[in-house]
Amino acid sequence: MSLKKNRYFAGFMGAQAKWLNSMSKKGYRLIKTGKLQYEFDECEPDKYVYTVEYVGDKSREESDKYKEFLESIGYRVFYKNITLDYSPGKITYRPWAEKGGRISTTRSTLFKELLIIEKENDGTPFELHTEKEDKANYYKRLSQPWYYLVFLFLLFAILAWPLIPGVIALAALALLSIVPIIIAEVKIHKLKKENQLEE
Amino acid sequence: MKDNVKSGALTEVTFFILLSLYVPKHGYAIMQFIEEKTGGRLILGAGSLYGAINTLTEKGWIEPFGEEGRTKEYVITPFGREIAEKELRRLKELTAIASEIVGGNCA
Repeated sequence: MSLKKNRYFAGFMGAQAKWLNSMSKKGYRLIKTGKLQYEFDECEPDKYVYTVEYVGDKSREESDKYKEFLESIGYRVFYKNITLDYSPGKITYRPWAEKGGRISTTRSTLFKELLIIEKENDGTPFELHTEKEDKANYYKRLSQPWYYLVFLFLLFAILAWPLIPGVIALAALALLSIVPIIIAEVKIHKLKKENQLEE
Repeated sequence: MKDNVKSGALTEVTFFILLSLYVPKHGYAIMQFIEEKTGGRLILGAGSLYGAINTLTEKGWIEPFGEEGRTKEYVITPFGREIAEKELRRLKELTAIASEIVGGNCA
């Protein structure tokens, strides 16, 4: 018996993985993902563990290659969206992405910003990035889009002048968008420090 | 990966990947090799392995082996062997000096 649930986690990857893992504990294994819908099959509780990874800055070719590699390791991999269906013309511009991923359409990377990865539970935590330098690179990639958001909100705040409430709201959004950057930078800084201690 | 900077020292993971590929292997087998040889002390995540394979291939230390199938295999190149041998010599020298000083009569 399959079970369908609607959820939307946007860019909160940790929350999404946590939820999938809690479904697994209840005996449900992910079999299909839609934009908002997840479909599960019944299975032995806790048989699988999940993790979620950001690939929204890769070109379609690169993320397909990475997906295939993970599948060759023996994992099951699903594409998942961060973006929802509201972009006009189904096309977005991603200046932070690598070449080939900057213009994102449904044919390329749109609605495929994340990978959900499943492996059989062997009791160890499911970590894809175990090397310090590789981890730092990943955090850096995660923080990239936020720089552009901060810049855009600040630009709009200036354009909104002299509408004071608008300026304040947009400046507040810019400030909020700095938070993920700070979190990523703190993590990267810690990793670099650890790395230096070991050398 | 931070290999071959000044001292020429390899990171532990790089050295293990090179060693594992004296016999051609696919990704999962590399991860297993490292886990088994270190008794689980060193565990390499698939994402980090993917990055390492790409870097080492670019450097010409390893290369794809055999047919391009779903489970791609890799093997160490002659240049990669040179690097591994150099690292082994460096480590031997290091352990020799360390044994002399720390180990006393063990040297």
